Amino acid sequence: MKKALFTLGLGLGASVAQAQLEQLAQGHLSGSFDSYTQYYRKDDKILAVPPQDKIGSNNFFKLDYTYKQFSAGIQYEAYLPAVQGFPFLGTKQGRNEGKLVNRYFRYSGDKVSLQVGDFYEQFGSGLVFRSWENRQIGINNALEGVNVQIQPTDFLKLKVVYGRPREYFDYADATVRGADADINLSRMFVKRPTAVNVTGGLSYVSRYQEYTGADDKFPATVNAYAARLAIEGANASLGVEYVHKGQDPHVANVFSDDNGKALLINGAYTAGKFGVNLTYRGISNMDWRSDRNAEGTVLPMNYVPALTKQHDYLTTNIYVYNAQVAGETGGQLDVFVNLGSSKLSVNYSQYNALKTPGSIFSPDSSFFKDGSIEWKKKWNSKWQSILSYHYVFYNKHVIEGGNDKSITSHIGLANILYKYAPRKSARLELQHLYTKEDRGNWAAAVTEFTFAPMLSVYASDLYNYGTTKVHYYNIGGSIMKDATRFSLAYGRQRAGLFCVGGVCRYVPAASGLTATLTITFNN
Amino acid sequence: MKKMYAWLLGSFLCVASYAQENFPSVSVKTLGGQSVDFSKLVSGSGDTAVVVSFWATWCVPCVTELDNINDVFADWQKEKPFKLLAISIDDARTSQRVKTFVKGKGWGFDVLTDVNNDLKRALNINDVPHVLIIKNNKVVYQHTGYVAGNEDELFTKIKTL
Repeated sequence: MKKALFTLGLGLGASVAQAQLEQLAQGHLSGSFDSYTQYYRKDDKILAVPPQDKIGSNNFFKLDYTYKQFSAGIQYEAYLPAVQGFPFLGTKQGRNEGKLVNRYFRYSGDKVSLQVGDFYEQFGSGLVFRSWENRQIGINNALEGVNVQIQPTDFLKLKVVYGRPREYFDYADATVRGADADINLSRMFVKRPTAVNVTGGLSYVSRYQEYTGADDKFPATVNAYAARLAIEGANASLGVEYVHKGQDPHVANVFSDDNGKALLINGAYTAGKFGVNLTYRGISNMDWRSDRNAEGTVLPMNYVPALTKQHDYLTTNIYVYNAQVAGETGGQLDVFVNLGSSKLSVNYSQYNALKTPGSIFSPDSSFFKDGSIEWKKKWNSKWQSILSYHYVFYNKHVIEGGNDKSITSHIGLANILYKYAPRKSARLELQHLYTKEDRGNWAAAVTEFTFAPMLSVYASDLYNYGTTKVHYYNIGGSIMKDATRFSLAYGRQRAGLFCVGGVCRYVPAASGLTATLTITFNN
Repeated sequence: MKKMYAWLLGSFLCVASYAQENFPSVSVKTLGGQSVDFSKLVSGSGDTAVVVSFWATWCVPCVTELDNINDVFADWQKEKPFKLLAISIDDARTSQRVKTFVKGKGWGFDVLTDVNNDLKRALNINDVPHVLIIKNNKVVYQHTGYVAGNEDELFTKIKTL
């Protein structure tokens, strides 16, 4: 009997080992390749000056494998060299270089998760701390270190992070430490499900960077604290977050000794087919980086996006706002209405200077105002249209620097889609921007033909007929097959702020050919 | 002693058969603010196909695609039931608008948020819109980009599963 049991045990053991091996092959493998290459030509008309070898190419390769509770991954990047305007280190501009930049190993159990290596994390809305990646604007401030998350009870989640921030192919000479507690107050006090969900959170983040200067009171360590509270009901919600940052004199704030502070309030209400959202945010001295000499989009510690409507059209992207982290106060109102076959959305945002530095409730002159109304209508199975109007006030002097005056502009646009066959469609966009200031009026047209599921081609022109008489033309197309997309475009690119998620980088004028390839795979 | 071995083996087998969640354990949030584990969400749907659509409020083609799916969603459900998870990659800038935006759209499927893009990163999604169909814990189809008519292609695929 004992022998029989033992043999059975061995047999089971062998089959388990076999099963384990088979399962290993059944883990989840995911990867991607992302390539953006520009071939530049000289174009005197738009003052585009190509680099010496006329080429820029940003490439990213990433691989992740998950088996049960374990995950591991790597990321390789190559700049051959970096595309123009990409904030790769000044010294490396023009050099061909590739490097394995991220690697991690993660265990995620039900109550504990542990990650070592490079990781991304965010506390609250990110106003106190966010490590993230955006390949288009060139942000990657992943922390290399340890990220531990514990859920001791169902109402509490604790996160502890420790590491050094990534600075392109190197690491900043700084150490970042942080802890965050996410508390579900409803579950903590009431054990059964409630109609109203109340959650709170507390964060602490600290950055240490050695200081070797003469000032013996200079803070090498900067601490920041944040508290947040959110109340969510079926139809309404309210969220408040407050951040306090200690003294942090650095280049970008002209070595200011002031504390930093930020208050973010979000309110939302929905009823029937109607939704309204109201956001207020006041900030003062919230430019926070892991290197006190960094500027621009380099080494951010926190995330302070412009809380304005994010635009997607040629003319609406000319005057875009960049949050003024030194100090601003303002808000945004969004209204969405579902009228059946048509949808209406109204948006208004306004940000002002602070009258008294440090006092986030003291509005002074305007930095930016944006009011828009959009009407989207589906006429029948063939025709769809979007009509919108935008009013934009833009304080160019503050937002872009320099001695420019403020600009008031009006934009009207129509986007018409005609599905002329089951898998074929044509789209026409007509846009106009009216202003007496800056470079005057702009007109734009985009036409696109799509052949589902694989092909789309387009031609566009953005024409400044106000003063410069320059056409920013583009023609291009893309092929999409499963999770691969290849696109090619030829034309001109306007100099200006290029923004993703409300964070901007300056892009110089460019002319030439652009090829983009993205591949994703998941087994 | 033997009993203990058998018990250990038994529990080992249990663990081996329990761990069917192949997808990375990444938490996303419901519009009510509750955290849910994506891998459990997907594995819990068993034999029913799960369509995962990555989108953002600021992405015009994404919104057009979801609007067009929503128009025929009820009819499709009658013909061949499937689950649709629309994962918003809106970050702190626009994530507060998602709930009201969805209400204004009247979408009849599940919407979740991935504010620091943890799921987007784990599944290696570069661009939105991006659609995946998952069945029995496997990605059986994916498509990036949207052109009018892609939704028909998607449903044709769902019907063949």
